[in-house]
Amino acid sequence: MNSGFYSAYTGFAARLDALDVIANNLANASTSGFKSQREFYRSFSAWLQPSLTTPINQAVNQFGVLGGARLDLSQGTVEPTGNDTDLALEGPGFFTVLTKNGLRYTRDGSFRLDKNRNLITDQGDQVLSEQPNRRDQPIQVPSGKMTISPDGSISVDGALVAKVRVEDFPADTQLTQEGNSYFVAPAAAVAGKPPASTTVQQGSLEKSNSDAIRTTVALIDLQRTAQTMERALAIFHNEFNRTAAQDLPKV
Amino acid sequence: MYRALYTAASGMETQQLNLDNVANNLANANTAGFRRRRLQFQDLVYQNLVSPGAAATQQTIYPAGLQIGLGARTAASEVIQLQGDFNQTGNPLDMTIQGQGFFQVQLPTGELAFTRSGAFHLDQTGIIVDAQGNQLQPAITIPASATNITIGSDGTVSVQLPGQQQAQQVGSIQLATFANPGGLSSVGNNYFLETTASGNPIVGTPGGTEGLGTILQGSLENSNVDVVGEFIQMILAQRSYEANSRVVHAADQMFQTINGLTS
Repeated sequence: MNSGFYSAYTGFAARLDALDVIANNLANASTSGFKSQREFYRSFSAWLQPSLTTPINQAVNQFGVLGGARLDLSQGTVEPTGNDTDLALEGPGFFTVLTKNGLRYTRDGSFRLDKNRNLITDQGDQVLSEQPNRRDQPIQVPSGKMTISPDGSISVDGALVAKVRVEDFPADTQLTQEGNSYFVAPAAAVAGKPPASTTVQQGSLEKSNSDAIRTTVALIDLQRTAQTMERALAIFHNEFNRTAAQDLPKV
Repeated sequence: MYRALYTAASGMETQQLNLDNVANNLANANTAGFRRRRLQFQDLVYQNLVSPGAAATQQTIYPAGLQIGLGARTAASEVIQLQGDFNQTGNPLDMTIQGQGFFQVQLPTGELAFTRSGAFHLDQTGIIVDAQGNQLQPAITIPASATNITIGSDGTVSVQLPGQQQAQQVGSIQLATFANPGGLSSVGNNYFLETTASGNPIVGTPGGTEGLGTILQGSLENSNVDVVGEFIQMILAQRSYEANSRVVHAADQMFQTINGLTS
């Protein structure tokens, strides 16, 4: 039948999925360390194997579907909180956290001390240290005035205690979001040192990088495009299909 | 299908809680020794529609996945332990802690409560009590004939008795601190109670090495609420709530469209 009907439908369905992505970005506008997702669309026929050869075949099978959502790892604004155990990363990199499911990475540095004075996240998972002799150990902070220098070294009353482990991944690493502001790296991913420009800011938190203006514009765009698709669907439905089904038989 | 509606609802819910917290912080802007709280949000679980790195064909993989998040939630409300500013009162039993310590007060149940509010008084027997009438621990009795009360920075309480040249020491105030003061539980009346998250109180003499801080007599610590900061939080919460309600509206319109297709 008319492939345009399905094209318009696919476009509409893709906008519905994209709305979910946008809704999540907006809902997390106040989540520290949250990284928003940017939706992208792709042509369906480009992924068909073997690819379609004739131009007419290509044209009628060209559907736009939601290709996926890329993580937008851009820096969020750093907001001072005044809490000594709140850390913000400026520049690429992630804090390394040991959860019961293995290593997780986060940019949400709203840490605190547990009753044994180990540095933990809001979920109660231990933040890991980087010092050569204490690598992957939890960070235990003795009582006293805690200072964290821009390179992540923690000192209490001037004595070096540990160094926060900050990891970065190559640009092509596919990190997945897990909730609780945690990211999961694929098993094969090789974590490396963040660039020297990455600094740890004590007493601050990185706000969500969800951009209200971009998201609102995307929302309007999406709504209007969906309306256009709906109009196209209505034309196919009311003018073409009805004509074919009701008027043609009368001839 | 209805994900966007629920996602936006979760965003609205967290912003509503945010506003509740702002309201409580602002309502206590003039409560001596009040500690403001800050809400901490986190993202909910993600649905993997396409896993990043999944095979698109035998030779190629999807360069980016399609993970759809299901919204936000409130993870914690943390007590902010920043020092509030001081307010000179001249009252000899008003005290400010310059540091991280807490006064210890015994509740009628026998439990110890911890407070930053240093507005103390004397009860009918001369024992130092707080505004609720609960005794400061360790209990200190001021003789009725005392003409002058001096509290040193290390918590030593001494009085001047009539007819005596030397001041007489009547007791010593001890302060408590916690490994994780952010994990204390607020119970109203400026009281905090210890929890498993906060750890056991570490009690010591003011001015010691535990970071308890020193005592300043004749002044009270104001709340550490930053009114301007709270207003900004309020604006952010309101606008964010609006943005989420726009999503509800957009989702509603799109579903309406679907329903209208059959006509």
